Order: sequence, then structure tokens, then C-alpha cells
Amino acid sequence: MAARLEKTIPQTQDMFDDYGKLNGDNDVLHYDDAFAKARGFRGTLGHGLMYTGYVCDLAARKYGRDWHYRGRLTVKYVRGVCPGDRLVVTLEPDGTAQCKSQFDTTLVGSATLA
Amino acid sequence: MTRPSDVKPREGEQPAALYKDWKVGAEFPPLPFTITPDIVREYMSVVDADPKNYVIDGRQAAPPNVVFVYMMAVMYRLYPPQQGGIMLGNTVQFHNPIWADEDTEVVGTGRVTDKYEKKGRKLICYDVDFKRPDGTLLVSVNHTSAFPE
Repeated sequence: MAARLEKTIPQTQDMFDDYGKLNGDNDVLHYDDAFAKARGFRGTLGHGLMYTGYVCDLAARKYGRDWHYRGRLTVKYVRGVCPGDRLVVTLEPDGTAQCKSQFDTTLVGSATLA
Repeated sequence: MTRPSDVKPREGEQPAALYKDWKVGAEFPPLPFTITPDIVREYMSVVDADPKNYVIDGRQAAPPNVVFVYMMAVMYRLYPPQQGGIMLGNTVQFHNPIWADEDTEVVGTGRVTDKYEKKGRKLICYDVDFKRPDGTLLVSVNHTSAFPE
């Protein structure tokens, strides 16, 4: 029986900055703690597509070659992730994907093959 | 090599597109760019990707989701970014590999598919397709974001 895949990635502002440096964005929600808190968040927010990348890595490990030709991914970002969060990324045998911090579920979705 | 910042206007650099400006059906101008092995390596490092997970028949491939760092640049060709946007979701299909050991020329195209207000938020949905110049489809995405205005 296929096993659940899981990895834990502690989140830091440096990680948000490094992703943003490649991504080339200037959305202050990712970089300005006071700005983010003024809008009701616990702090700066990590990039949704960075978390999508975490899920995709588990999917590539699970499906191998087929992921590149038939991979199907759906994700919804349901809660923000902030520096200091301990993020657990999981991919179940049936393709159900999730990211969860110590506070809440942050991403839900699925990674399957067509 | 095309770094995403080479083709992506940054929030605040120019007047932002507002919700009222978006038109369902509007096509984004094509965005050509080149993914290099250096870009692939940097991308792998920022998404905690293990290169071993991307070997196809003995050849090193890139995470096909490397195109994600270019995705919004396609939309920005028509609608410049505003501060405070929140990404809500993505539906993605991977069709063909991107190799990590060569330069890959890509053309990003897309269109607005929906706009609506829900629970006080202004939501925009759009498609982006990433193809090689010869038309080979690499990745297709449907994306949803909420914007303040």
C-alpha cells in the first residue's frame, strides 16, 4: 500500500525574501510586518506558490515521470503562513494534499494523475 | 536567461489595474522568456525541491512548476499589479517536461476567465498557458486572486 508522504519545513522571513527575490514581486504583505499586521494578519505572509511548490515536490516523488506528463494539481490557500510557523506538508496515497501549521490548516488540495 | 524580475512590473512602479478594469475574455499579450539551468537551481532551492525527484529516464528535469514564478508576469502584461493582492487558488495541469540541463524558451499566454465579488472581496480568475515556441504545451494554469480595489 502506498505510504503518506510528509515533510516539515519551519518558516522564516529569509525564506519569504529568497522566494520573492526569484519571483520578482514587491507585494509588501510578504515583507512588511507592520503592514501585514495592520491588515489583520499575524505577520508577513509566505508566498502561496512557494507552498504549492512544496506540494509539487511530494507529488513528483510520488508519481515520478508521470507527474511531468499527466500531473493534475488543485490548491486553495485557506490561511496565511507567517515566519516562525512550523509547516507540515502532506500528500496522502489518494492524492489529497495539505499544508498545516501549528495554528491551522493553510492549504488544501490534491495532486493526482490524469 | 530571463529572471522573472526582468519581465515583471513590481507593485507600485506604475498605476495599478483595478477590479473595474478587468474584462472577462481579455487576452494577455504573449510573454516570451527563457528558463536556464541557473533559474531551475534557484527555484529548487526556494521551494525545498529534491533534484532526485525530477529524474526522467536518467535525465535531470526541472520541477515543471518552475513556470509559477513567471505566471503573474503574463497577466501583468495587460493588468499591472496592485498592492495587497491575495492569491486564493490554482488548478494546474502539467503536460511535458522542462529539462534542467538546457535553456528552455517558453511563451506564456492567457486570458481573463471570470470576475466576481464574494463576501466583500473582489475576485479575478484567469488562465495562463506555457508553451515552447513550437507550440508544445508545457503547463496550463487557472488562477484565482482577490484584490483590494
